[in-house]
Amino acid sequence: MSISLAIDTATSRTGVAIINGQEIIWQGSHDGATAHGGALSTLVSQALSDHPKIDQVIVGMGPGPFTGLRVGISFARSFALARQISIIGICSLDAIAPLVIQGNTLIKDGEDFIVATDARRKEMYWAKYSKGIRVGEPGVNLPSEIVSLGLPIFGEGAIKYGLSKNTDTQYPDLLSLVALSRNPRAHVSEPMYLRRPDAQPTSERTS
Amino acid sequence: MSNEPLVLGIETSCDETAVGIVRGRTLLANVISSSVEEHARFGGVVPEIASRAHLEAMEAILHQALNEAKISLTDIDAVAVTAGPGLVGALLVGVASASGLALGLGKPIYGVNHLAAHVSVDLLAHTQEVKPTIALLVSGGHSSLLQVDDITSSVTKLGESMDDAAGEAFDKIARVMGLGFPGGPAIDRDARSGNKTAIDFPRGLTQSSDWETRPFDFSFSGLKTAVARYLEATPNYARADVSASFQEAIVDVLMQKAIRACASTGIDSLVIAGGVAANSRLRTLAQERCDKAKISLRIPEPALCTDNGAMVACLGSLMVSAGRAPSPVGIEAQSSMSVTTVSVA
Ligand SMILES: [Zn+2]
Repeated sequence: MSISLAIDTATSRTGVAIINGQEIIWQGSHDGATAHGGALSTLVSQALSDHPKIDQVIVGMGPGPFTGLRVGISFARSFALARQISIIGICSLDAIAPLVIQGNTLIKDGEDFIVATDARRKEMYWAKYSKGIRVGEPGVNLPSEIVSLGLPIFGEGAIKYGLSKNTDTQYPDLLSLVALSRNPRAHVSEPMYLRRPDAQPTSERTS
Repeated sequence: MSNEPLVLGIETSCDETAVGIVRGRTLLANVISSSVEEHARFGGVVPEIASRAHLEAMEAILHQALNEAKISLTDIDAVAVTAGPGLVGALLVGVASASGLALGLGKPIYGVNHLAAHVSVDLLAHTQEVKPTIALLVSGGHSSLLQVDDITSSVTKLGESMDDAAGEAFDKIARVMGLGFPGGPAIDRDARSGNKTAIDFPRGLTQSSDWETRPFDFSFSGLKTAVARYLEATPNYARADVSASFQEAIVDVLMQKAIRACASTGIDSLVIAGGVAANSRLRTLAQERCDKAKISLRIPEPALCTDNGAMVACLGSLMVSAGRAPSPVGIEAQSSMSVTTVSVA
């Protein structure tokens, strides 16, 4: 069994877990849309003090607010480089979808649903799932546009806009993140920004 | 084997993704990837474009630096990173990357000040450290006069720009004259064929009352306005003459204040650092005036003046050698880190 360090910073939660095969042996999180960086290093440091040996890194690649998302990916890539171990990226929304299906009480049997996280600027990052499998690429849209699809919506974005009351399906599930890494078709190699950068130059240069 | 610390430094405070590796005061690698061309069409650095470029380039730059230095990551004694000041989103990529390396390797991390790192890089060229020294730090983001008693622990600010940084003034004037971005190198080139005494542009904060109240502060906004007015009033202006005269006004003020700082503190050593220190006229004028005032002048080679990773590694290495405590795990980027804070404690 290989030991995975799982990291996700695509939502307002900074999540870290160490997973041995299919069992969580350490987990910790920090909630708050800022300070992903300090929280992530602190959590990983705590995790390593109990479980120093890591075989692979699995990281959520978004979609998510850019700054926090980059902190997780940047950290994960360097950590893997330092340890000379492999790193696998996974769509963070895909790691929320299994929470909706688990227990099978949130949706009717086999019903399609949507996972949506907060994209700020009054929009949500979202993807549609059919029998637990993502249909198409994630998007970024206004809540009203996503609601018009007529499907149940889960995730941090759904809670924020009053579209769901289920708080157990807000954030990516790190056990699912690692489980997804076993499927090469779920792998994502680049951050999922889904938006172009704002082209507003700054006068604040430091070079 | 050398006992000197082997330190890897990461710099991402603006639009350069840079990694440097030093052993003690010996430069082993200095690799830079710039996103400047992506920003040029916007006339300035776009923070989100810079941040994306940092993440995209980082891994390749790390590999390249390790290859150049002919070392393996596991040989490294410490990781240093620019913690501030700079663009917060850009800094965060470097800090996260450095944190991942440090925790992965089980080695200490030093979150250092970008400005102090600019000053410290001189020690890679002139290994004999001079204490104390006056430092003139001039770049696109900063124009500061510092008293450096010990670059690892004691940096005092004597003065700074009240408005635009020197490099920023270069950028803005270059834009008005259609010279492109970044403006410093363009104006430097253009000025070589111009007459620096053609137009008498104002020298900010050099009136006699200014020498009483703000002897070491700078102001370039008046100069900027004066140049803009001149260009408006002179449709057929000679661009090279404007470049040369504008550049002279800036470097003249910088050197007047730097020499005065040395004289009033009794310190006969001056280091000039930062991107504008690559300006050829500043280098020439600084040498002339320091020779005259019997001040020993040190300016790093141009490649080490602009943002780079070697300067960060160099300051990290000096911190290790001086026995300074590393930064705590979980350091955050500090976009407006004060120059007097050499590293994150
Ligand atoms: Zn700089």
